[in-house]
Amino acid sequence: MNNPIQESQLLQTRRHFFGRSSTGIGVAALASLMNTSSPATANPTSDVLSHLSQIAPKAKRVIYLLQSGAPSQVDLYDYKPSLDKLDRTELPDSIRQGQRLTGMTAGQKNFTVVKSPWKFQQHGQSGTWLSELLPHMSNVVDDICVIRSMHTEAINHDPAITFFQSGNQQPGRPSIGAWLSYGLGSETQDLPSFVVLLTKNTFHQAQPLYDRLWGSGFLPSKYQGVKFRSQGDPVLYLNDPTGRSSTDRRTMLDRLENLNRMHEAEIGDPEISSRIAQYEMAYRMQTSVPELADTSDEPASTFELYGEDARQPGTHAANCLLARRLAERGVRFIQVFHRGWDHHSNVQKYLPTLTKETDQGSAGLIEDLKQRGMLEETLVIWAGEFGRTVYSQGNPNTFGRDHHPRCFSIWMAGGGIKPGISYGQTDDYCYNIAENPVHVHDFHATLLHCLGINHEELTYRFQGRDFRLTDVHGKVVSDILT
Amino acid sequence: MPAGNLSRLTVIFVALSTPAFGGDVDFNRDVRPILSNHCFTCHGPDAETREGGLRLDLREAATGAGDSGARAIVPGDVSASEIIRRVTATDPDVHMPPANGPKALDDKQIATLKAWIENGAEYQSHWAFVPVKEPAVPKASGSDWARNDIDHFVFAQLLDKQLKPAAEATRETLIRRVAFDVTGLPPTVDEVDQYLADKSDQAYERMVDRYLKSPAYGEHMARHWLDLARYADTNGYQYDTEREQWVWRDWVIDAYNRNMPFDRFTIEQLAGDMLPDATAQQRLATGFNRNHGITIEGGIIDEEYRTEYVMDRVSTTGGVWLGLTVGCARCHDHKYDPISQREFYQLYSFFNQVPERGMSGFTPSEKIPSPLAGDRQQQLESKLRELRAQLASPVDLDSDLDKWAGQLAKSSAGGWNALTPQTLESSGGSTLTALDDHSILAGGANPRQDIYDISSQTDALDITAVRLEALTHESLPGGGPGRHSNSNFVLSEFELTAVSVVDESKTQVVKFVRAISDYEQANYEVARAINGTVANNDGWAVDGPTRKERATAMFIAEKPFGFAGGTQLRFRLRHEASFATHGIGRARISVTTDAESDLSLQGIPAEIRQIAVTEKAARSAEDAAKLQDYFIAHHDPRKDLKQRIAAIEQQQANAFPATMIMQDMPQPRKTFVLHRGQYNEPTDEVTADVPAVFPSLPKGTAANRLGFAHWLMDPAHPLTARVAVNRYWQRLFGTGLVKTSEDFGVQGSLPSHPELLDWLATEFIRSGWDVKHIQRLMITSATYRQTSRVGAAAYQTDPENRWLARGPRMRLDGEELRDAALLASGLLVNQLGGKSVYPYQPAGLWMELNNRPGYSKEYPQGSGDDLYRRSVYTFWKRTVPSPMLKILDAPERESCTIRRSRTNTPSQALVLLNSPQFVEAARHLGERMMKHDSPRLEDKLTFGFRLVTAREPTKPEMAAIFEAFESEQRKLAESPETALKILQVGESEFDSTLDQSQLAAFASIASLYLNLDEAITKG
Repeated sequence: MNNPIQESQLLQTRRHFFGRSSTGIGVAALASLMNTSSPATANPTSDVLSHLSQIAPKAKRVIYLLQSGAPSQVDLYDYKPSLDKLDRTELPDSIRQGQRLTGMTAGQKNFTVVKSPWKFQQHGQSGTWLSELLPHMSNVVDDICVIRSMHTEAINHDPAITFFQSGNQQPGRPSIGAWLSYGLGSETQDLPSFVVLLTKNTFHQAQPLYDRLWGSGFLPSKYQGVKFRSQGDPVLYLNDPTGRSSTDRRTMLDRLENLNRMHEAEIGDPEISSRIAQYEMAYRMQTSVPELADTSDEPASTFELYGEDARQPGTHAANCLLARRLAERGVRFIQVFHRGWDHHSNVQKYLPTLTKETDQGSAGLIEDLKQRGMLEETLVIWAGEFGRTVYSQGNPNTFGRDHHPRCFSIWMAGGGIKPGISYGQTDDYCYNIAENPVHVHDFHATLLHCLGINHEELTYRFQGRDFRLTDVHGKVVSDILT
Repeated sequence: MPAGNLSRLTVIFVALSTPAFGGDVDFNRDVRPILSNHCFTCHGPDAETREGGLRLDLREAATGAGDSGARAIVPGDVSASEIIRRVTATDPDVHMPPANGPKALDDKQIATLKAWIENGAEYQSHWAFVPVKEPAVPKASGSDWARNDIDHFVFAQLLDKQLKPAAEATRETLIRRVAFDVTGLPPTVDEVDQYLADKSDQAYERMVDRYLKSPAYGEHMARHWLDLARYADTNGYQYDTEREQWVWRDWVIDAYNRNMPFDRFTIEQLAGDMLPDATAQQRLATGFNRNHGITIEGGIIDEEYRTEYVMDRVSTTGGVWLGLTVGCARCHDHKYDPISQREFYQLYSFFNQVPERGMSGFTPSEKIPSPLAGDRQQQLESKLRELRAQLASPVDLDSDLDKWAGQLAKSSAGGWNALTPQTLESSGGSTLTALDDHSILAGGANPRQDIYDISSQTDALDITAVRLEALTHESLPGGGPGRHSNSNFVLSEFELTAVSVVDESKTQVVKFVRAISDYEQANYEVARAINGTVANNDGWAVDGPTRKERATAMFIAEKPFGFAGGTQLRFRLRHEASFATHGIGRARISVTTDAESDLSLQGIPAEIRQIAVTEKAARSAEDAAKLQDYFIAHHDPRKDLKQRIAAIEQQQANAFPATMIMQDMPQPRKTFVLHRGQYNEPTDEVTADVPAVFPSLPKGTAANRLGFAHWLMDPAHPLTARVAVNRYWQRLFGTGLVKTSEDFGVQGSLPSHPELLDWLATEFIRSGWDVKHIQRLMITSATYRQTSRVGAAAYQTDPENRWLARGPRMRLDGEELRDAALLASGLLVNQLGGKSVYPYQPAGLWMELNNRPGYSKEYPQGSGDDLYRRSVYTFWKRTVPSPMLKILDAPERESCTIRRSRTNTPSQALVLLNSPQFVEAARHLGERMMKHDSPRLEDKLTFGFRLVTAREPTKPEMAAIFEAFESEQRKLAESPETALKILQVGESEFDSTLDQSQLAAFASIASLYLNLDEAITKG
């Protein structure tokens, strides 16, 4: 774009949109250059801001419902009538194309195709096909965009989820949320800008999670996600120790500030002021977090939307509701982790349990955001780390499904995403992508684009190199953008 | 926005990035950063992505003609230089960098380029790759401020920047600064008083030396090293199971406390195993490069992860010793530094020789005692020394040898006789085929489990042992010896029934009492093939994935067997482990009648028998030596002594877990350039070597890890010493002289004081790499002793203190904060070394992320002393590190961290205010105040203040504290139950003889102290 007037208008829009110019993109980058931990405040016309190309942001924030373990696309979102005929036949080599397999099925003799045992139906104006396992999602299909042509590089959980969260299979890079906190700063002075919610796991073979999934990698550690917990303190160390009341804490902080100010007058280090400010924010969090976690002020209609599960802290539904409450309060990136989708055996038994745990909460969130007029400025994402094989792992009668990186389904909705569409096609076997592949890097590029960020420009210099979430790859999937 | 911040920004830009104009353009300082940031991606060292045949990092190439024929740089002629035309072009098709490339150059940068070309476009080698030359010490006038040579360099820069050094800090500030920097702990009140009372000239130096001698020094230094070494107590990746590598951590503490010179410290950690006559402690040191994560995820591809481990070693070693981002050349030539992809894999080859696996790659490992283990170990050590001395004393071998040779000469031909198979059956349907060499090749179906029934016949009597060879064959996966795709096998059980040919009713199940093999996989020893069980995957295996070589086992019968008239031998090879298709690929079975003492896997060689038969006098000298060597190897007369030594070593070792260490395979593993860094895309084969930009491997060293380590420590190496002293500087001053302590390459920052850096590097080498000496120099400099109490203006002028016009001031690390609270409160349990411990942690943190039965467990919070050990001993789980430390900027240790970030967040306030560890410490600090022997309240409050800050409070401070105490006391006196609650936080008891309300009020004040900015800052 070469028109300076237009450019400046867009710049204004961006600042206006994000509400707080002083925490705009790149400012954090500048602060980190200075190796200071003071709150990021700088001249918004600094050249760090101006060199970014201008994309009008559609979303202000992201709610990302992460389905760890990898849900089965063939049983949920990718309807394949072709499998009716192919059921119980062997997967041909021409389809498998030498795809590397995990150590779990590499030694298997047969690769017997097993179609989904569940019925699919079209729903909504859009006529989106959905499995009967997702009755609630069927009500919101016109608000979401199902991407059926996702693919990834990793074939096992740890590298795959690390790749999805950070753009690299090995540990060490910042997570998506950390990149956003760094790039966009915070909309709230009372809460962290990146919050992580964990659902209590019920599946006996669930894959674990790791702190690195919301870590800051090589970015300063203040950008790491803050975990909100359903047991103990809602945020680590949030509650005053026993015997100390909030009034005591206020008095104590006032005394602390008084002594710190005396010291600052002597020393002159501005870091002391900054410390005082952080203690004040901690104090505000002590009020704001319990208030937001307490859903007793929600009307009955809320629980009709999200389901009665939402009254039970630590369920997926409760976390979806909490995600909305966080979004309302200006949290930039909210990630809900649900585990248990890793069904190497007995898909028929386990998959319905998982969809039951997640279906209503996810659909309720979309509906709720829509009713509140928040959906258009909130990007909602539902995704696992890869898909599952159409062929059976083990006995085809009690079939399991192994990891499948070559094609799987996710959905996106809200801020900047075309509603009511399905994007991409897989082949008759649901094994390869037939049309419009979307790589994990493309997904990241698109996510950033919705927030008004050119993925090639959100960089951080580490070890002499300007690192990006998308490494040196990624194409924005413009077909799915509004 | 406050005006102050604006001016602060301005100053930075002026101070750090203003290029000098006119004739004063310096290539390294002014020009290279422009070319590197804006041009090298397409016109730099990486040949793969080079555009237009233009290379700008070398003068010859940059001044020659590119593909277009134009010359990018024409020295002395700006208007003829294509580069200037391009960077100033308005046509987007002509302009460089291109629209989708790096940022355009600004006017200043263009002016710099022009001035440089005008002056002849001279290139300089990148400063860090030029050998260190000892600079002359500048002696500027007015520099009587200086206490040692460091200060002259600093002073010269200050003069240049028109700045003045700050006054010396107060003694209280200094002792606290030194105590934290040297030991990671605050000074005790006694230590402060002792220092304040010492009026001699050398008081400061004496104080520094006292701390340098403290064992806490080693713990503190080790704690920093553990970040670099990515040390942890778990394996990282997925389930993040536990490992025990703490004996290596103890080695580091011990090495620092002994002030091991940095060259030895380096060589032993990188290649201690390869030193001549390497000691167990030297092998232990090599644990450094086994500290990387190791996966156990079912389904992973072995080679993919083994490759990652080697990558990690190269990147870590490159970062720690070279200060280079070597890992950037994994997928392509380095974009900025002169390290080609090929050279990366040459470095990779040094670290690619470990006989390890990707999946559960926990070997090689060895049980080695901790050097910190104390008296008992020393007793054993001295006993060992005694026995070893005996062993070393000469023995008269002759008579024993003669006796043995006589027996051997009389015995039958002996040796192993390979059996001809008669019947071959496979329970799983494999095709077993007898080959000409009597071996049996398995092919065809490859069942999950398989039992081979093999029969054969022999006339031999008194058979003493059976030999089983698992041979390789081209038809087997990877060449064998096993049938699995990874070449491994698991022989669950080896059984034999002997049947008389004359009378089939005479049968004997042969009982084997001993098994010996030339190779066995850890936890799959050959003895497991005759132990009567096949359960739990019990059996013999041979590391097929990494080894792919034949293996031989020998099974010794309880008593000799064989029937007169011939014996049919019915062998049963059971492959019943749950690992599928783990059958032996090609087996050969032999028997022998030799006495057990003469058995060896290959039998007594015919040559030796021949020599034994020859009359002693008739043996050639060479033959006699051969015979003697063989005899000593198999019939050592000092066997008993050796057994006693082995027993003590065993005893020593059993007290400790096996520590993962480095080892090289006997047959080097080939190394290839990996296309795009992918494990499964090898291209050209390479051999171990160092990048061409550096001096070559020193003469007389082999191209192996040991040679590499010696190369690093060669005094002529341009990087090693600079990188090391810079890290010590960073530790003390907060920022290194080279700010990017992890990157001394072209993209790294330039040194703020290049000559000082070189002087320190020279001094470090000259001192014999004396680590304490070089740090002592820094700590005793006037630069270090400056006050940080300099007023807001000075902080705005130089926020990062790059010009050192004041003393260092920065927030303490998480570990230091916790340890300081423990020491001040009297809770700290000082105990050097040992297993990692589990202090307080909020419940449920492990299980909420990872609750798979069999792989996961609750955090096993410790009790008693374990709650109060120094933080260097806190159990480090990579996927869920101690939340307290993590919030205070500790890294996850999933990879090497050379610089921690230092942030200031609300979560940090919450930890210090509310976490049980700090609340309990405050309670004990309160108790210490209350029990302080002066009856005056002010003295008690002052005592606590000094425990935390080392100084006495000022009058206004005391007034505020006093008032706070009074008010707390009043409030708590009204509510004794609240007071009691406050006193019940934490596991430890409170002194019930004290007044509880008052004690709780002291605890309130203590908590206030521990949260002071001054308390959490090194000032």
